[in-house]
Amino acid sequence: MFGALRLIVFGFLFLSVVYFVVSIYSRSVRREKLEKEWDQEVKSGDRDAYVTVGMKAYDKSLRKRLIWLVFVVPVVVFAAIFYLTNYA
Amino acid sequence: MRYVKWTFRILLVALVFGFIHYTLPQSDIVRVVNTYEERQELNDWTRIFWSKPDDQSATLANRDVQFIQGVKANGKPMVYRNEDTGWSWPPYFKFDTANLYTEANDAVSTKESPQWYAVTHYGWRNEILSIFPNAVGIKPVAGPDVRIIPWVSITILVIFAFVLLMIWRMWRQFRERSIDPVLEDVSEASDAARDRARGFWARVTGWLGSWRSKPRR
Repeated sequence: MFGALRLIVFGFLFLSVVYFVVSIYSRSVRREKLEKEWDQEVKSGDRDAYVTVGMKAYDKSLRKRLIWLVFVVPVVVFAAIFYLTNYA
Repeated sequence: MRYVKWTFRILLVALVFGFIHYTLPQSDIVRVVNTYEERQELNDWTRIFWSKPDDQSATLANRDVQFIQGVKANGKPMVYRNEDTGWSWPPYFKFDTANLYTEANDAVSTKESPQWYAVTHYGWRNEILSIFPNAVGIKPVAGPDVRIIPWVSITILVIFAFVLLMIWRMWRQFRERSIDPVLEDVSEASDAARDRARGFWARVTGWLGSWRSKPRR
């Protein structure tokens, strides 16, 4: 069972890294989109305030929560492979 | 220099392709003729082609391995090994070696009344290196000409391509948002410092400039 433990520990570490990288990327894309929105459409008021409000909305959005799928999908795939190889 | 670059690139592509080809599942349609066990020496470099079962001591120099012998419709022989992959690479998580061995023994048929089976496996058969693909599944098929669409491999390759695309997009985003602005600051500073052509910062910015993309030859 040492192998299983190793897979769980390293798998968790790897997926954590993926989770953080994807989070940073997703935030960055949203921030850029908000900045461009202000530059091209809003053009009034404080640019930084507009972006800050937009980012607060992003923090509560479904899109941000969907990044948790980074942990869920590999576990489901693992279970499917395990079942298909050994019991199907 | 150009030859070195291209040799390196071709080697890299061959390595990646070989790795994927070795790891992804493939199917053969064979008539199972026999199964056997044979003691295998595991103390040379071809060790990498044998499995590393969980319950095996790392210093073990040889052990018994199960084999499944098949004959394809064109008469060519195909021999598979039958080993657990356990929790390690490649991630098939195969633990049912004994069950598969039983199924394979149950599937044995004669030349006169052949029964055809699709054997799913990964790995390569090489006579010179004495390496064998590892069978992971066996199931009966209607005949030797049944077409098997490799959905698993297609799915994995599509996901792999998607991951590569995302990595590339992330890198571009990172460069655009985090590296390029810094380089712009630096190049503005270098404009200001042009008088001091041999000054410290001119040399630093010159060095940084050498990291930026140059026109391709």
